[in-house]
Amino acid sequence: MPDLLSLVVQQTINGVYLGCLYVMVALGLTLIYGVMNQINFAHADFVTVGAFVALFTMTRLATKMLGMPEVAGYLLSIVFALGAGALLGLAVNAAVFAPLRDRGDELRPLIATIGVSVLLENGQLALFGPIPYQFDSPLAKETLRFGKIFFSLQNVLVVAVSAAAVAALYAFLKFTFLGKALRAVSQDRETSGLMGINQSFLIGLTIVIASALAGMGGALLGPGLVLDPFAGATVIVKAFAIVIIGGFGNLAGTILAGILVGIIEAFTIQYLGAGLIDLVVFVLLLTMLVVKPTGLIAERREENV
Amino acid sequence: MAALLEVEGIELAYGEVAACREIAFAVAEGEIVTLIGANGAGKTTTLRGVAGAMLPRKGRIAFMGQDITRLPPHERTLAGIALVPEGRRVFPFLTVRENLEMGGYKFRRDAAKVRGLIERMMDMFPRLRERHDQRAGTLSGGEQQMLALSRALMSEPKLLCLDEPSLGLAPLVVQEIFKSIRAINAAGTSVLLVEQNAQYALATAARGYVMQTGAIVASGACADLRLDERIKEAYLGRK
Ligand SMILES: Nc1ncnc2c1ncn2[C@@H]1O[C@H](COP(=O)(O)OP(=O)(O)O)[C@@H](O)[C@H]1O
Ligand SMILES: [Mg+2]
Repeated sequence: MPDLLSLVVQQTINGVYLGCLYVMVALGLTLIYGVMNQINFAHADFVTVGAFVALFTMTRLATKMLGMPEVAGYLLSIVFALGAGALLGLAVNAAVFAPLRDRGDELRPLIATIGVSVLLENGQLALFGPIPYQFDSPLAKETLRFGKIFFSLQNVLVVAVSAAAVAALYAFLKFTFLGKALRAVSQDRETSGLMGINQSFLIGLTIVIASALAGMGGALLGPGLVLDPFAGATVIVKAFAIVIIGGFGNLAGTILAGILVGIIEAFTIQYLGAGLIDLVVFVLLLTMLVVKPTGLIAERREENV
Repeated sequence: MAALLEVEGIELAYGEVAACREIAFAVAEGEIVTLIGANGAGKTTTLRGVAGAMLPRKGRIAFMGQDITRLPPHERTLAGIALVPEGRRVFPFLTVRENLEMGGYKFRRDAAKVRGLIERMMDMFPRLRERHDQRAGTLSGGEQQMLALSRALMSEPKLLCLDEPSLGLAPLVVQEIFKSIRAINAAGTSVLLVEQNAQYALATAARGYVMQTGAIVASGACADLRLDERIKEAYLGRK
C-alpha cells in the first residue's frame, strides 16, 4: 500500500525532526550529569533564553537594524542563541556553581540550579511579560514535496544543524586533548586531578558546552513553542525522560532515545491523537525503568560522555 | 643530599575523623623511600596527602623547597609529583594510548613531546604497544599496573609515588614492575613506595618508615628495619 508507506515515511521524518530538537536539549543535561553527576534544573531556562535571544536577533537586529533578509536573519539568530547560551553558562558557572562546588558539598549546587531557574524565569517575565510571543521561522514556509511526502526547509535545517552539532561534539571528545580530558574527568574525577587536569576548568567548559547547545536548541525550537518565559519547561520534562531512557550520562544512548521519542511522538499524533503524547512517553519511561533501568545501551556499562 | 619532599607533622582527616596524625618524613633527591604498615594504617591517606587529593588540616608539606601544603592536585603534578594510585585507577573507557596522553596532560601543547614520551613508555612495556588501541578497562591487572605506572611517568615527575603496585598481581609480574621501579629510580626519579608486601619494599628502598594506626612508629635504613624484631614479626611473617 503506497499510501501507508508514504504515511510511515512522513511520520518518520516528522519524528526525526522532533527527535533532533529533543536531542539538542537533552544532550546538555546528560553531558553535565556525565561529567559532574549533577542535574541542572536551570537547563530549561537556558533553552528559553536561547529562544528569546533568537527571536529578538531575527526580528529586531537582523531584519530591522541590519536590513538582512529573513532567512539570513534566522540563521544569524541561531548563532547568537548559541553564543548567548555559552555566555550565560559561563556567567552562571562563575557566579553560582563554581563557588558552591569549591565548598565541596553536593546538595547546595543542586538547589542552586533551582534558584538559577527561578531567577531566569522571573527575570524574563519582568523583561518580556507573560504574553506569548509569535516566533515564525521564515524557513517553515518553504516546503518541499516528494509525492505524498512533505517537509519544510525548517525541518531540513533542524536536522542538519543537530547532526553537525553532534558530529562536532563527538570529534571534540574523541580527537582533542581537552575532549579526552573531559571524558577522563567523567570516568574518574579524583584520578583526573592527579594527571594534572584542572577539573574546575573542565567542569566549567562542560557547562558552557551544555548551555550553548541549550541556547541553540532554543533558537531551533522557538518557532514550535508557545514562547513565554516558561516555554522551556514544556520540553524539559520530555528531555529528562529521554536522558533517563538513554541512560543518565550516556551520550549515544541519549541521542538514540531522543530520536526514538520523537518518532514515537509523531506516530502517536497520527494514530492516537496529540493529547496522548505525554502518556505514551511516560509509559515508555516507566517500562524502561522496570525492564532496563540502566538505559537503552548502558548494559555493557557503556562509556558515559 | 637535598630534601626533595618534606612532610612536617601533617594531619589528614575524612570528615571529622583523623586518619593520620603527626606524619613527618622526607624523601631526598634520588632516593627510594618506603612506607610500610598493615592494612588501614594510613599509607594510602598519607600518599593522597602528598599528591594533593586530600588537603591536610594541620602541618606543612614542602616540595623542592616550596610550600605546597594548599596546592590542588593538578598543580602538584605540574610541580613534579606523580601518583600511581591504589587499585591502579586507569580510565577504563579510554584507550591505552589515551590514558598515556592524559598522564602527559601538562605537555598537551607539545604533541611531539607527548608522542615521544608515549614511545618511551611503550619501549619500556611492549605489552602496552600491542594493546595501544584497546580500552584500558579490558586489560589484565598486570597490564593495568604497567599502564598506571607509565601514565604517571608521562608527566616526567621528580617524585614518583606508588601505592601498592604489587597488589593482586602474580609474582612474575610483581618482579617486572619492581625491576622497572628500580630502573626509573636509576634514571634519576625519586620514589616514594607504599607497600603491604614489606619484603619487596624493604629490599627495594634505601630508607623506610613504618606506619601503625595513623602514625609513624619507626623509621630507619631498610637494612636495619629488616632486622628489627617487631617489624619481622608484624610485617615479614617470620620470627
Ligand atoms: N574514604 C574514606 N572515608 C573514611 N575513612 C577512610 C576512607 N579511606 C580510608 N579511611 C580510613 O582511614 C584509615 C587509613 O586508611 P588507608 O589510608 O586506606 O590505610 P592503608 O592504605 O594503610 O591501608 C583507615 O582507618 C580507613 O578506614
Ligand atoms: Mg592503602
